[in-house]
Amino acid sequence: MIIPINIATSSAGPTLPPQLAKFGTDELVLIELQGSLDVEGEISGQLVGKLDLETDPKKPTLLIGHHLLEGKLQNLAKPLAVMHKNSRESSKPGGEMVQEVDSSSSTEWDIVAVVRRKMVFTKRPMPMVGRVPVTTDTIR
Amino acid sequence: MSNINLKFGRNITKDAGAFRLLELPPELCKLVEESTNAKLTIRGQPDEDAVLCTPERTYSLRSVVLSNSVLVVTPTSNPQDVVIRRQIHEILEPVPCLPRLQKLSTLLRGREYDEGHEEDEEIGEDEEGRPVSFKKPRFTYDDARGILQASDFELEKCLKDRRILVLNGCLRPIAPSHLTTVLEILLNALVSLSLSHENAPVEDLAASLQEEHDINRDITRQVMQWFGEVADNLWKMDVEATVREVGIGILRAHRHDSILEPQFLQKWKVAVGDTFESKVDIKLLSGNYLSRMSELGDAPVFELLYFPSSTLPSDPAARFADLFLTRPRWKAEEITPFLADIVVDAKDRDRLLLKHARAITNSEGVWYTTRVQMQ
Repeated sequence: MIIPINIATSSAGPTLPPQLAKFGTDELVLIELQGSLDVEGEISGQLVGKLDLETDPKKPTLLIGHHLLEGKLQNLAKPLAVMHKNSRESSKPGGEMVQEVDSSSSTEWDIVAVVRRKMVFTKRPMPMVGRVPVTTDTIR
Repeated sequence: MSNINLKFGRNITKDAGAFRLLELPPELCKLVEESTNAKLTIRGQPDEDAVLCTPERTYSLRSVVLSNSVLVVTPTSNPQDVVIRRQIHEILEPVPCLPRLQKLSTLLRGREYDEGHEEDEEIGEDEEGRPVSFKKPRFTYDDARGILQASDFELEKCLKDRRILVLNGCLRPIAPSHLTTVLEILLNALVSLSLSHENAPVEDLAASLQEEHDINRDITRQVMQWFGEVADNLWKMDVEATVREVGIGILRAHRHDSILEPQFLQKWKVAVGDTFESKVDIKLLSGNYLSRMSELGDAPVFELLYFPSSTLPSDPAARFADLFLTRPRWKAEEITPFLADIVVDAKDRDRLLLKHARAITNSEGVWYTTRVQMQ
């Protein structure tokens, strides 16, 4: 079985705001959190938090609920290729989508970006008292 | 200026949206950044550990688990919003490894190509021009490519090294005795046609072998590629490799009954002919024979036994076990040829020796004995 890896680093899609692109590439940024986002329920499309890159471009902050995280730019020792799975669902002439039985045969991966830095939030979150939280129902 | 909203993406939990992070060592990074068609592939059967192949090399993939999580964030059409496409907890780290080609010999068992019985499996066509079916299912180059965990370059090199013919797309290892025959005939043909081994016309030789010895032109051509370089239809013979192969051919008969070294060298010289007589050197055969002082006769003379490293197990522990069963102790320079095909470099070899053997240094140099206690 041979799974091809395509290089698809340049796309004509939307680009990240310039201040955020500084932490990754024009099209993709990696944000590292100590711990992970643990969310229940339907999360698709929900707001996680607000990134502030304006106040101090060297110290981005991420406000999640009542918690403020302070981050920094970190250069990677070795570049990382970000690969995206590209499973082509074969469509039959009738237009109906067919889930392949041997799904592996049509799987391809695309390298969508090569990143050399990341945005890291390593410090403990600071509780923000007396401020209106940005999210109410998504983060528990 | 306002803040940027960080949101969860749509397919975040679905397989279709899967993301992976692959660490790029410098040589891979160069490959990825310099070409939009780097031809990287992941290879392996579902039950195997996947490997990453460039056109030239093979890397095993190690999964490094992160205690932190990494969010893959991409833009949306709204400049105020960015979305998390995936939360990732591991990084794939490619580590250069040897191509995993061990399976090939099992896959090719019983498909050997030898003179004499080639006709019954010869690729033929019936009256309507359809290919006649084989006795065995075909095992093609593409089959091998899909099954083996090796880069294309390494696979091709392996076919060349293991003397596997590609006949009408099918892989057929050439019978060693037949290979020796073809090479000896080639050497003779060079002389009888008065051709230079530096640039001999491929088609002339192939035609001559076909006419005089009924050897398929396709086979002659491939054998010439194995033992030299073919460019502009001219063959530049690799003298050393050819002489070596002829030597191995003679030695092959002496797996159990040893042959005295001078006697062997004499036979070998006759077989390669006057032109290449001077190239005959026992060192060419390192990794293929064992030598020991003969107990017969008066003069001190070595006797040789055929002992090819290619038939030893590829697993290091098993190989050392075999080697130490053959001989309880080995000189450093004697054991190294038998490790050459299972190590990446000298450092790797020393590591294996350190792990599987015990080194003893005396006046004669370094000796290796087994670490495993025989009971």
